[in-house]
Amino acid sequence: MLYKKKWPVLLFIVPGLLFMVIFLYIPFMENIRNSLYNMKAAVELPGSPWKFIGLANYKRLLTDPDIRIAIVNTLKMMALTVIFEVGFAFVLAVLVSNVKRLQQVFRTVYFFPVVISATAIGLMFKLFYNYNGGMLNQLLEAWGKEPVNWLSPGLAFLMVCIPTLWSYIGFYFVILLTGLSDISDDIYEAASIDGCSRFKQVFYITLPMMKPVFATCITLAITGALKVFDLPWVIVPNGAPQGTTHFLGTYMYQQTFGLNDYDYGSTLALIIVIMGVLVSWVVGFFTRERE
Amino acid sequence: MKERKKIKISNIIIYIVLIAWAITTVFPFVWVLLNSFKPSSEVLNASFALPKEFIWDNYVTAFSRMNIGNAYKNSLIISGSVTIGVIVLSAMMAFAMTRYRFKGRRLVNSLLAASLMFPVFSTIIPVYRMMIRASLLSTNLAVILPHIAGNLSFAAIVMIGFMKTIPIDMEEAAYMEGANVFQVFMRIIVPLCKASLSTVAIFSFMWSYNDLFVQKIMISDNTKYPISNLLETISSQYGTDFGLMAASVTLIVVPVLLVYMVLQKNIIKGLTAGAIKG
Amino acid sequence: MKNKLLSLLLVSTMAVTLLAGCGTNTATKDAGTKDEGQTDETQKDDGGNAGADEGSAPVTLKTVSMFGGTDPNAAAYQEINEELMAQYDYITIEDNSQTSDEDWKAGIAADFSVGNEPDVLQFFTDATADSIVATDKLVSVDEIKAEYPEYAQDTLEAAMTASANTDGVSRAVPTTGYWEGLYCNKDLFDQYKVEIPTDWASLETAINTFKENGIIPIAVSLNNVPHYWLEFLMLYTAGEEVYTSVPKTAPAEWAKGIELFKTLRDMGAFPEDTDTVDDAYAGQLFRDKKAAMQLDGSWYAGQIEDLEGTIVVAFPGVPDQKAAPASMIGGVSSGFYITKKAWEDPAKRDAAVKFVMAHTSQAGVQKYWESTGAVAQAATQVNPVEGATPFAESIAAYTSSASLMVAPTDARIGDAYKTLIAQIVKVSTGAMTAEDAINMALEKYAEQYSE
Repeated sequence: MLYKKKWPVLLFIVPGLLFMVIFLYIPFMENIRNSLYNMKAAVELPGSPWKFIGLANYKRLLTDPDIRIAIVNTLKMMALTVIFEVGFAFVLAVLVSNVKRLQQVFRTVYFFPVVISATAIGLMFKLFYNYNGGMLNQLLEAWGKEPVNWLSPGLAFLMVCIPTLWSYIGFYFVILLTGLSDISDDIYEAASIDGCSRFKQVFYITLPMMKPVFATCITLAITGALKVFDLPWVIVPNGAPQGTTHFLGTYMYQQTFGLNDYDYGSTLALIIVIMGVLVSWVVGFFTRERE
Repeated sequence: MKERKKIKISNIIIYIVLIAWAITTVFPFVWVLLNSFKPSSEVLNASFALPKEFIWDNYVTAFSRMNIGNAYKNSLIISGSVTIGVIVLSAMMAFAMTRYRFKGRRLVNSLLAASLMFPVFSTIIPVYRMMIRASLLSTNLAVILPHIAGNLSFAAIVMIGFMKTIPIDMEEAAYMEGANVFQVFMRIIVPLCKASLSTVAIFSFMWSYNDLFVQKIMISDNTKYPISNLLETISSQYGTDFGLMAASVTLIVVPVLLVYMVLQKNIIKGLTAGAIKG
Repeated sequence: MKNKLLSLLLVSTMAVTLLAGCGTNTATKDAGTKDEGQTDETQKDDGGNAGADEGSAPVTLKTVSMFGGTDPNAAAYQEINEELMAQYDYITIEDNSQTSDEDWKAGIAADFSVGNEPDVLQFFTDATADSIVATDKLVSVDEIKAEYPEYAQDTLEAAMTASANTDGVSRAVPTTGYWEGLYCNKDLFDQYKVEIPTDWASLETAINTFKENGIIPIAVSLNNVPHYWLEFLMLYTAGEEVYTSVPKTAPAEWAKGIELFKTLRDMGAFPEDTDTVDDAYAGQLFRDKKAAMQLDGSWYAGQIEDLEGTIVVAFPGVPDQKAAPASMIGGVSSGFYITKKAWEDPAKRDAAVKFVMAHTSQAGVQKYWESTGAVAQAATQVNPVEGATPFAESIAAYTSSASLMVAPTDARIGDAYKTLIAQIVKVSTGAMTAEDAINMALEKYAEQYSE
């Protein structure tokens, strides 16, 4: 190694490491402990000690219908982000790479929603969905149709997904477009000389060459879906309507900070980590397999 | 001849699709902007028309009822500090990880990788308790610290990936000439890493600026609200005043879009470089 | 060029950070107005002075109340604050007021439990305040009176008793009390020739008629604030005695009352989007005459603009009713507290007392009473206003004919009430039985008060 004195390594690494240990690892451990106690408040108050309750919170998970909804919704959201965000972003990227004019405009414009905070986007969509005089119902009215309750139990999940997916397509679009431009033109030329149509080129050249980029995108999309909070919370707080739009994050927030059930909240937090690990293991398994 | 015509038609279709999507990403913002100049009753009845007359009332109300300037200030303090903290710490960690062999290096490596698996939900309750005991609730620091921790591992991994690719020759030369490690780090490594540092900076800034979850938990005092918190309150407390909501959204969206327009090339390049290398 | 811009951005945020980094305590004079740095210095420690003497060192009071946002008391509250600051220019009020909802209440309790409490708090006095009272951070009225005999001197004896905490100790000084009643758009009832409902049968008729005519019968947000309907349905079905009990398991009468949510929902009594809208939005539906009825509290009266066409009547009733007709939910259940933090700080004690007295004196209470439409139950003597509207008259008739006045359930079971509220939507759709919902809440209650 170049640097002979070893002590500076401590100065370089300790501050960052401390941050991680104090704000990530210790809390993570403490969460496990907390989930085994009956926490009456966020901090233990004199005169009302916490009681050890063992696995009661974990038993509750098994019978809690809302956590089931939250998990199913989160899994659905993962699938949707992969199919629509990454998939549609790929379609757009291929199309844009095939046109000559306006490329720069498309890049700029598609990226708009990515830089806007989810809270602002949520508020905007709230205005669109509103039953009385929202944008969508004004459109329907203009066509002489009956207003629709866009946030009814049957539709709400979809209506939360739309802005969530919409807002991040630009992000994957840009990544995939960069990936596309890294593929050398010679390959395409050679292929078209061999009589391979443009459509076929996408399948036989572009897709295989882009595998690593796709792997990145899919991982990002899935971990992103696990972190969904702001949009559903702003559009339909507390899993409204009728608990159909709970996600892991929003449900954990409602239990912990809405209903002050800190110990159950800790349990949910742990479940979120376990799910994250499981899912990325599965994804890693598949992407590695293919390579 | 036939071939060329075909291509033209397909090109038209391609443009139609691309422009249609562009409209979906622009139209909502235009709609909100237009409606922010109308009284609520007009928003309810004629949201697609141009305002009958442009009124500024909604903006006046927004500024008089809510301290938007203050919220901006808080958000900038928070996100600015987070950005600086993340850049400094991640660059230092990456330097240590790529230029030294030391005991526990592999442990640190796996700690970094594993912490990507902790979404903020999984650590927030103990961190909240920590802030309570340190009496830091409703201060910017209570948001800054967990934000730094949350962005650090990703940033460090990006930086490690980048520093690995920097050839060691230049450092060697400087080191041989008698510069110490810290001088090498400041004068050679940091300037070489500009590109990936700006990636990390942009990422951290955007994540921190757009976050609602941590702000909502840590800041209960509404005189200290950052932007996201303020916006959410507007929607629950004044949710019936559509004009006011449109004006508030505009006030918060427009500056961000302007900054984005100015810096867009950097942002896009930074994001993609980061994502692909990470 | 690009890099220059980027670094410019970073440098400027860094500058902002550094400049403002130490000023995170910047005080705001009050929520609405801008802070132009006049307060940064003022709140620094001047602990040495006994702050009682006039023209003393600057004091910043941190105050929290539920008179914020769209609350009708907000204007009066601001006005009194400004008068106070004008009168005593050394007092700066750093106010943090917000309309009350479950999140807000939880936030206050959290602030107290962690030592982040304000100097003066305007808050509930019933079981909602139990978790705060338990922190032992509030000063009793008697203790303050011992030193300031004129404290709370205008407050009526009855109001003082009604606003004592659940342990019987008075800590808060009340301003006005409240009632809950059925707001009706009389003009809609006239237009569609519907009788104002007086019992369950006529309520059903009214709901059906409005439904047929495309008017929302009842404006309510079941997801956000189903509280009023919950209380009246339970009180009228269970009768006073069972209603006010704190049982171990769900009483059949409570369950039966809450199941009426489903009956009403199935009749189409609620707005189409009742599961997702905010309470403020439901109120708008009623005021825009898109809905015929709304069950709400006296604090809502201030928002009614159509004082000719709107009236308030007693809750009509339920099938197999146990409560006497015209039973009312209400009370005096909020007031101004002084925390020990302020009381034990010689610099703040006097200012805090002045603050509370300004709000609870006859003049202060008169302001609150008038700003809420002169319809609430005032905690001091008040001077009647001239030329009462049909709206005010209907309220006077309602409140004076009430056969019974009881406090709502959250006054008895405290925080566990939230658990019940969170299940109302599910009960209304039949996804959960009322019995299960009540038991969930009662379990929470038992957990909270267990050893």
